[in-house]
Parts: sequence; structure tokens; C-alpha cells
Amino acid sequence: MATESIKYLAPDADNKAKTQVFPRPGQHTTGLVDWLTTIDHKKIGLMYGLTALFFLIIGGIEALLIRSQLWDHNMAVLTNREYNQMFTMHGTTMVFLVIMPLSAAFFNFIMPLQIGARDVAFPRMNALSLWCFVGGGIILNLSWFFTGGSPAIGWFGYAPLTDTRFAEVIGDMGPDFWIFSLQILGVASLLASFNFITTIINMRAPGMTMMRLPVFTWMTLIVSFLIILAFPAITIALVELMFDRTYGTNFYDFLEGGKPHLWQHLFWIFGHPEVYILILPAMGIVSEVIPVFSRKPLFGYGLIVFSGAIIGFMGFAVWSHHMFTTGMGVVATSAFAMLTMLIAIPTGVKIFNWIGTMWGGRIRFDTPMLFALGFITMFMIGGFTGIMHSSVPIDAQHQDSYFVVAHFHYVLIGGALFGLFCGFYFWLPKLTGRMMSEKVGKFVFTLMFLGFNLTFFPMHYLGMIGQPRRTHTYNEGHGFETWNQIATVGAFILGVGIAIGVLQFINSFFNKKLKPAGKNPWDARTLEWTLSSPVKEYNFARTPIIKARDQAWENNYGPKENHSEKEPLDDHGVHMPDRSWWPLITALGLLGLAIGMLFHRTIDPSGELVRDYTYPIIAGAVAILGMIMWALEGPGGYHLFPKEDEE
Amino acid sequence: MISIVRKFIHLPRFIIGALLLLAGSCSRIDHKQSALDPKGLVAQNQYDIFMLSVWITIFLFCAVGGCLLYVLWRYRAKTAEEAKEVPSQSHGNSMVETGLIIVSAIILVILAVPTLQGIVLLNRVPDANDAESLEKLGLDRSQIDGAITVNVTGKRFFWVFEYPQYGIVTANELVFPASKAVRINLRTEDVIHSFWVPKLAGKMDLMPGQENFMWFIADQQKIMGESDAATSMPAVHDGSMRAKVFAKQKFTDEFEPVGGLFYGQCAEFCGNSHAYMSFRALAQTDEDFDSWVKRFQNAQNPNLQTKSYDPQSSYPKGSLVSFADPKLGSGANREFRSIRPTSPGQSPQLNPGAWEKAHSDDYEQGKQLFASLQCVQCHAVNRTGLGAKGPNLTLYGLRTSLAAGWMRNDEESLSKWLKNSNEIKFGNLMWNGEGVDDRHPLRNLENDDEKVNQLIAYLLGQS
Repeated sequence: MATESIKYLAPDADNKAKTQVFPRPGQHTTGLVDWLTTIDHKKIGLMYGLTALFFLIIGGIEALLIRSQLWDHNMAVLTNREYNQMFTMHGTTMVFLVIMPLSAAFFNFIMPLQIGARDVAFPRMNALSLWCFVGGGIILNLSWFFTGGSPAIGWFGYAPLTDTRFAEVIGDMGPDFWIFSLQILGVASLLASFNFITTIINMRAPGMTMMRLPVFTWMTLIVSFLIILAFPAITIALVELMFDRTYGTNFYDFLEGGKPHLWQHLFWIFGHPEVYILILPAMGIVSEVIPVFSRKPLFGYGLIVFSGAIIGFMGFAVWSHHMFTTGMGVVATSAFAMLTMLIAIPTGVKIFNWIGTMWGGRIRFDTPMLFALGFITMFMIGGFTGIMHSSVPIDAQHQDSYFVVAHFHYVLIGGALFGLFCGFYFWLPKLTGRMMSEKVGKFVFTLMFLGFNLTFFPMHYLGMIGQPRRTHTYNEGHGFETWNQIATVGAFILGVGIAIGVLQFINSFFNKKLKPAGKNPWDARTLEWTLSSPVKEYNFARTPIIKARDQAWENNYGPKENHSEKEPLDDHGVHMPDRSWWPLITALGLLGLAIGMLFHRTIDPSGELVRDYTYPIIAGAVAILGMIMWALEGPGGYHLFPKEDEE
Repeated sequence: MISIVRKFIHLPRFIIGALLLLAGSCSRIDHKQSALDPKGLVAQNQYDIFMLSVWITIFLFCAVGGCLLYVLWRYRAKTAEEAKEVPSQSHGNSMVETGLIIVSAIILVILAVPTLQGIVLLNRVPDANDAESLEKLGLDRSQIDGAITVNVTGKRFFWVFEYPQYGIVTANELVFPASKAVRINLRTEDVIHSFWVPKLAGKMDLMPGQENFMWFIADQQKIMGESDAATSMPAVHDGSMRAKVFAKQKFTDEFEPVGGLFYGQCAEFCGNSHAYMSFRALAQTDEDFDSWVKRFQNAQNPNLQTKSYDPQSSYPKGSLVSFADPKLGSGANREFRSIRPTSPGQSPQLNPGAWEKAHSDDYEQGKQLFASLQCVQCHAVNRTGLGAKGPNLTLYGLRTSLAAGWMRNDEESLSKWLKNSNEIKFGNLMWNGEGVDDRHPLRNLENDDEKVNQLIAYLLGQS
């Protein structure tokens, strides 16, 4: 991405650099330091994506262990505690370390390109968000190596099972790791969301009105709002749980007047919007891909955007449908059932509009389109079973059975993961500048589609004949064996499919033999496709002036008055912000704070509990110092003067 | 390699065979724990609404999916040139969009009405005075008036069933009259559990610090099918249920020949051995249920417990007394039954002809062990209120299952269980201290078949 450019320096910049204790890496830094200090949204997005793919492999291995244990009745691949740890870690990993950060990777990489911005609003905050995410992932997976191993409490961590009173290993630290990991991941998500909202509201190119935003950017905005409204609930819940476990408070301890129901309400008022946080980005991706491969604009753009917003809004009003069997009484149960049914309407609208988009088009079946079609059909099945669960009497039988497992995997794999893979096949050429093999891509899709359905379709039936969730084994004589074996075979096929896909993505970064992509390989419609692949570090050599909704398409096929124009470059050229160490150092401080808090308690030889806050205080000081230095350091920066055709 | 190739030649036959097998297996829906085979009013209602939703969604899937397929076929780009054409760039059609929204709303209303009715049904036992709705539900007034109440307490990892109307407590096997409504009050002593008997009703959670309610009523007609009550609902109180279950059914049999036996399961994750927290519900005819209650009441009545022999009393024929028997160990008592009426002072020692041993030696030894190995600390036998930590073992010999419904209650499983319960159900409280404490009272049972057999004789003798 090196560019011929003139470095613009303020008169005293050289002196400043010399006087600093912690020198700021310069413009041309390379190697490891480049990646550790980068504030470029594209590199951060890439690291988000690669880390999430790594955790996808980890979570996938956990899933395959779970499936192996369920191959037959009374299997002994895992003990019951190990199994419980596996499904806890699988759930937490897949939700917080895979699907959310994969979405964040796309937000980071694609969204600024789609609105004609040169970076996000707060580039260093973006880097902090990335390092917090990595830190959270590390803390969660460190739990394997300490007392009690990983948490065995489920990803939902229902009180009072998380209480130390019910710990099944003496001094079990698993739930503590889980709490601190989720807190730090929460910081990462909140930082990223504030950043994206500010970016989308403030940094759109001239002429890019809100109703000209690509749908993916709209979904980024909605999801970011969902995150900043939903995460405080789980933050509070986790703080209370941390106090219960560490300092003996009684928020959830029913023997002391606490209320386990409180945890469930706080968890699900976060947890249900979280479901939409996971699925809306995929819907955004699919809404970009289908118009491209049908060569038609999105059918009912306004309605799709509006229904996304409605889904987001109503997502906060249906949380108790996860709690139909907890005895909330007739009135609350009925109200939440009706609201949950209502949310099916805006979801259905999206599906109708995607079909409407294809109607009358010229449909090409390239890999991204196959994944998008897979998304629509699989998400439809997941949505239909979701409607079933909104009906309380049906839910009374389905709750906590394999039917529910089937339902949310249809939404989260068939929906979210297929959508994200669709995004990878669609946008990776923009990232790498190389096209991926269509043959391999279609093979991956076939494996994933077959394996996925083979795994999860039988689970509907298994749930109906009474297999409960979260059980490490089942008794003989229930008729569960055959279908579990089919599911296990399917899971391995799915696993192979995903593995080949991930290898293909990584290969496309390094394999120089692949066909170059050029600016717009799919003949796509949105602004990012007017840029070269890979995108230059400054994104846009000249800020575009937007004239229409699908700007790249309009430039090629639209009338003259719809063609975008370019703002002339002023004397300062393109202002590029400088790299910084402080986001990384602040994140390390937070990581140290969490680890320090995890280990601040010891039992001295006389059996007395000793609390030693030295390490948490040091680490906290590092984090605060990082923020102060960050503020004092200022944005810095240098200026580039790219030629007009260099983009 | 060749064999693999050969296998592939047979592939079509193999696939057809596999499909037939699957179809055959799928057509069976009456598995032990199947919600597709409802045997009670509440479960039937839930099944009916489920099937309604299945038909609605199948219709929608075919309609929308068919539409999708049509569009994909009709508008596919057939040639490379066609893929470069620019079709008309239409942006939407508000009439179509509004129409589809209205249609979806109408379809949801079709599901919403029975949903609301179902919510009321599963939360409230119908009013016995409301003849109209009783008739609609096909219920008789007596079925509601005679409803029994069971207080269910969940513990890690077993169930306590208390019958407040009768003052009795049992565990892991819920005996109930098939003709009457059963009100279930749900409580827990530790974490959240969930009470689920799929064939009778959907689940309800046991929340700490709160009492939840559910109810169910079995459908006697459906349980009996074409057979009579004695075949489908053998009596529990005289052991014929246990005999029938054991005779007709290997534990591994997939399909349950005894209609009155229902399988239940804890459905909320509750810790290490959550998977093992199952239970059974046994439907009984009214008479059998009454007899069962009587036997239980007598067994758990503190006034009817065997007392020590009193030299001042005379005993009628058939009385039970406990009397010191040094053969069993110092200070140990044995139970004697009088064969004929005795006058004061005629203790079993002085007048052996008037008394017989009430139980075998093994039984008496087992009883001693039950106390000396500290089993009584956690398990109550007969008298309630003592040893509430573990399942109540009153009339244990009548139970069909062991370890909260996980195993068959016979000598073989019981011996395995007593020797090392942790191997079967990791995380249960009856852990023998393996690897941590060799002084644990159960530690040496593993190598002591004699003691184990004595305990088994005592436990299975509770009938």
C-alpha cells in the first residue's frame, strides 16, 4: 500500500518525536510493530476477522467433541463435567468470539468504504476495541489451565448455579474467568459501536444522505445502537455476579433474599437483542449480495431499512420469551408471546423483499450468491421454528430440548455464519486484490449446506421425542441413537467444509497465482467497488460527491447526472493519523487488571483469606496511564498527496 | 481398496436400505419421552397447537420457497451474455409489500388465538363449577374435584415427591391416579431444575425462592388402548407394576409396553449430573392408588413403627417387635413376628415357639449396615422427616428404577450402585471418597460382596 507521497511535517514535529519517552512509530513502520500499532480500519478489520476465524476453529473443535460424545448412549469421550465445560465454551466462544467479531470485521473494513470515509471517527479507539477483544478471548481460554478448568455453567450462566455455594469443584475459578472475559469483550463491543455510530452519522461523503446509505451500513448503524443499549444490562448483571462471587453479596442468592429471576431478566434483556446483533449484519451482507447477482436494485429499500430498525427496536421487548417456563404468570407470558409473534412480520418482510429483488433480474450463481440463497432458505426454517416457540404451549414442550438447539443453529449457522461466509466470498477480493476459486467455493458451499442440514435437521425430531439439551449423555431405549449419529456425521462434514473455506480465505492472501480482481469483479453496486483492490491506505484519493444510492452501478450504467464527482484535494492533501502504542498498552492494562482481580485472593497457611490488590492496582494504573498518554499524544498525523487516479 | 470399490457398487442398495430404515424409525413417534405421543389433556393441547403451527409453516415454506425456486429458475442468466444484460431497475412495489405484511399478520392471528387459550389451560386447572368449559375439554367434574396435589422438590440430582393430602413422601417415582387431575407445586432446594413429562405436559421450571405451578391429567382411554387396566396400569402397591415392567421389558427396549409408565427428565441445566436427573410417573387406577397411599401412610406412620419388645405387654398374633439378637452383633435388634397370641414376659428368647424371624438374616444385617455405614444420615426409610438429604427409600422394593430413573432397580444395578455410585453418576452425593479419603464409610464396600448383598436384601425387602 506504499504510495508516492510528500510527507508533510509541522515545523516542530521532528523535535517532538525526539523528546517523547515512548516514540510514536512513524509512517513507514513495517513488520510486527506495524500490526501492533496500526490504526488503519482495514488492518484492524483484517485482524478482527483472522482472530475470529481462529476462534471459529477452536469453537468448532469443541462442537465436534460434543457431537462425538453424543454418538451413542453412555459414551465416554468426555466426562460429564468436561462436556458441560465444552458446551459452555462452545456457546460463549461462538457468540462473543466468532460471530460478533466477524461482523465487527466487516463493519470495520467495509463500512467506511461504503460511506466514502477515509477511516472511522476514532481510529485509535478502534485499535483499543480490537485489543480488548483479543484480551477477552485470551482470558476466556486461559480458564482451561486453572482451578476447576473452564466454566461449566452454560453460556447463559443461570443463577444460582454460578454461585460459589453450588460450585462442583472446590475453589472453581471458571465462572470468574467467564465474568471478566465477558466484561472486557463488552468494552470492546461498546467502543467499536460508539465509533461506528459517530462515523456513520458524521463522516459520510457529501451527497451520501441517510437514505442513500448501503443497507449493510444501515445494519451496522442499527447493530451498533443495539450493542450500546443491550450491553449495559449484561455489564450490570456481571458486576453483580462478580460481587456475589468475590465479596459475598446476595444479588442472586435466594437464601439471603436475592432473586435468580433477576439474572434471567438482565441476561435476556441483553441476550435477545444480542440475537439480532448476531443476525442483522448477515442480513445486511445478504441485502448487498442479492442485488449484485441479480443486477437489480434492492426491492423496497426503505422497507428493508425500516424493518431492520423495527426488529432492533422490538428486540428489546421480547426478552422474556426465553423465560416462558419460569413461571411468570399468565399475563406476562401472553404479552411476550404476542410481541414475539409480531417480530416475525418485519423479518418476513425482508425475505419477501429479497425474493422481490431477484424477480425480473439476471441471476448469476456465483459462490457469494449461493451462500446468500442458503442464508434465505436456512434462515426461513429457523424463523419458522422461532414462530413456533413464540406460542407458549408449544414452547412448554420445546424449551430446553434439542428442538431449540436445532432452531437457533438454523438461525446462527444457517443464518449468521452463512451470511458471513457470503460476505467473505463477496468482499475478500476487495481485501486481497485476488479472486478465489469458484470451484473450491462451490465445493465449500455444498459441504457446508449438506453437513449443516444433516446435523441440525434431525435435531428437530430428537427434541420432539424428548432429548433434553445440555445433557452429556442419554439413556438407552429412547430411540435417540440413530439421529444423533446422523447429526454427528453431518457435524464432521460441516467442520470439513468450514475448514476448507477458512484455508481458502487465508490462501487468497498469499497465493500470487490467483486471478487479480480489479476494481469491480462482480459488477457490484456500492461505493467500495469504485476503489482499487486492494484498497489504498487512504481509501479515497479524492472524496467522492455522491449522486445516487448505488453509486458504483450508477457510474457504469446510470444517466450522466447520477455519476459521482470528486472533491478537489486542498493544500493539506489527505491527512493521515499517526500510529500509536497507547491503545495496545491500555488494553494490556485492562487485561492485567482482569487477571490481577482473578488471582487477588489467596488462602494463607492459617486458612485466612488474604486479599492482595497490588497487581490489579498496578495494571489499572497502566490502563489509566495509557489513556492519559493517549490524550496527551494527540492525533498527530502526516499528509499524502495521491494522484487523482490512484484509488 | 477393492472391497471399498465393491461396497460402492452396492451403494444404491445401501442407500435404499438406509432410507427405509430411517423412514421406519421416523414413523415411530411413541418413544418413551416423546412429545408427539400425548397421553394427557395438557400435552394433547400442546401437541395440537404444535401441529397447527407445523402445517402453517409447511404451507408458508412451500409458498415462499416455491416462489423463490420459480424466481431462480425463471430469471437465471442462461448465457454469459445474458449475465451482462441490464434488466429494468425497479425499486419496489408498495402494494405488494403492504399486501404481504397484512397476509403475514393474518396468519399469525390464526396461531395467536389457540396460543392464548393454551396459556390459560396450562396455568390453571379448569374451574369445577364451570360446566361449559369442562364439557368443551371433555372432562368430568369428579376429575377436578378429586384432584390430588403433589409438592415436587428438585435437588441435585433427584426428585422429592410429597403428597400433602396424604402426609407421605417418596422420591423419583411419582404415583398418581390416572382419572384425576394432578396439581404440581414446584420448589427447589438448590439450583433451577425443570419438571418435564413430555407425554403428560410441557415443562415448568423449579425456581429457587419461588413456588411454581403446573398441572396435568392423564387420559385413561389413551393409556389403556385396547387392553384392560390390569395390563396397562398394573398396581404399584403389590409389586405387580415392578414385576410387569421387569418381565415384559428389557431396560434397553425402545418402546414401552406398559402404558401407565411415563418417563420424565430435568430439563434445565443443573450441574455435573444434570443428564442423570430423570424420573418416572406411574399412572394407577383409583383403587390401586388408594391402596398405595394406604401402604405408604402405614409405612411412614410413626405410631405404626416396630417397637422394642415390652415384657409387660401381651401381643396378638401377627405383631412385630424388635428384640435384641446378639447373633447380629452387640446391641443389634432383630424384628420378630408373633405366630400366636403371647402373654406378658414371653419374649422371643423365652418362648421361641411363639415368634418367628420377620426377615432373613441378610435383611437384618443389611439394616444394621444401613445404620452403621451412615446411610440413615441422608436416606429416610419409612419414617419421614429424617435423612432428607438423599431420596426417601420408603417401600423402595416397589420402585422400578434406581438412581433417579437412570437404571433398572434390580440386584445387579443396585450392587453396582452401592459399590461405586460415582462411576455411574459422577457428582452424586453418595460418593465413596475414592482417591481422597479411605476412611469413608462406603470406601470398602467395593470389595465386600457380602455386605453389599446384605444391603440389597434390606433395601429390596422394603416392599
